[in-house]
Amino acid sequence: MKQILEMKQIVKDYANCRALDHVDFSMKRGETVAIIGPSGSGKSTLLRCINCLNRITSGSITLNGETFVDTPDGKAAQYIPDKELRRICAQTGMVFQHFNLFPHMTCLKNICYAPIKVKKEDKAAAEQRGRELLELVGLASKADVYTAQLSGGQKQRIAIARGLAMNPEIMLFDEPTSALDPEITGEVLNVIKKLADEHITMVVVTHEMGFAREVADRVIFMDQGKIVEEGAPEQIFTSPESDRLKDFLSSMLK
Amino acid sequence: MSDFIANFQETLAYVGVLMPSLLTGAWYTVKLFVVTLVLSLPLGLPFALGGNSRFWIFRFVCKTYIWIFRGTPLILQLFFFYFFIPISMGIRFSAFTTAAITFVLNYAAYFAEIYRGGINSIDHGQYEAAHSLGLSKSQTMFGIILPQTMKCVLPPVSNEAIVLIKDTALVSVMGVAELMKASTSAVNRDVNPSAYLVAAVIYLIFTFLLTLLSNFLERRFSMYDARGEW
Repeated sequence: MKQILEMKQIVKDYANCRALDHVDFSMKRGETVAIIGPSGSGKSTLLRCINCLNRITSGSITLNGETFVDTPDGKAAQYIPDKELRRICAQTGMVFQHFNLFPHMTCLKNICYAPIKVKKEDKAAAEQRGRELLELVGLASKADVYTAQLSGGQKQRIAIARGLAMNPEIMLFDEPTSALDPEITGEVLNVIKKLADEHITMVVVTHEMGFAREVADRVIFMDQGKIVEEGAPEQIFTSPESDRLKDFLSSMLK
Repeated sequence: MSDFIANFQETLAYVGVLMPSLLTGAWYTVKLFVVTLVLSLPLGLPFALGGNSRFWIFRFVCKTYIWIFRGTPLILQLFFFYFFIPISMGIRFSAFTTAAITFVLNYAAYFAEIYRGGINSIDHGQYEAAHSLGLSKSQTMFGIILPQTMKCVLPPVSNEAIVLIKDTALVSVMGVAELMKASTSAVNRDVNPSAYLVAAVIYLIFTFLLTLLSNFLERRFSMYDARGEW
């Protein structure tokens, strides 16, 4: 099967540290990948490089057959022009730890705004689709409510619907439940599970080990800017090979 | 007591005589106020955006403009434009036009900084969300950032508007018969300070109306806030 995403030899340097150190990562259409690892290991950075929220120092990224950044020998990474880049990055949908919903819009408008503005979709059609998405995340009654009136879990479900509205090739989740109270993470995780069942391609950075084990087709363990171990959830969680993964898992279970 | 009543009636009659010239002055004040506000509110925006620009030349131009107009007294700017434009360009604008140009340029500088502060106060996550949805820079600015900015700049902007209505008194130095000048003339002519009292009341009415308007707008803009219990 053709790779939907291919990242090669990704390096991301900040002023005084290397966040990603020659990472290779690729995924197939319909696959759900969970990225786990201690904080500061580069998981979020890797995710944010996929839709250019962070720009890589060197390496190449190909999304859905289009290479938007490449590194010629001995040079810095070269991105394609902004306008093209935006079009390609818009093929990914992103869900943030802190939701980042637009507070001056109702839930429905949050969802429909980008399809109408970016894809020039017809307003009525976009709203029709928006209501279907609200139905999908179980918040049909909140269409005309401003986001400040929602609970954290509801906000995150709206954010998921907003990302899906652009019909992305890949959905990116950056610790979608880390800002939520433990008892309401379930409602968000259930929505993500539903998407996995529909074979929507997803990358989920998460600290929810149970969720990663249950939902992911493949789990990636990162530490210090490198992919240390990857494999099927059973293999990662029941027979970890590296000491670092063993340490990490035992610390998570405490 | 009858003395007081007689006095009071006399004062009322005097105020009645003053009213036409003071109201003419007040009308002039309102015109200058409205023209300044209507033009400087939008003019501040390009200077605010320019001040945040990636390109140093835009930043330089905008910052210099703001520095000059915020850094010198408004009354000096009034004199400068009043004499500079006729001498250097050979055009003589009316005192009103000159005053309006000066006020617009001056207030745009203040509004630019208010807007810039408002824009910079918006959470960076809003930009990230907009980017992840494929919105362009201008779509992000005009659809996501500025609508939220409008709400948080409203209090400082209405504050400036109240300062402006009082600043219009400065154009009396150009001999224009706005409210301040009209009342000063009456005081000097009649050797009776009542005109100042009347002028003060008129200014207070203006600022009261402005406060009402700004409260109304604040309520409108806060419709998407969560309502707390206290």
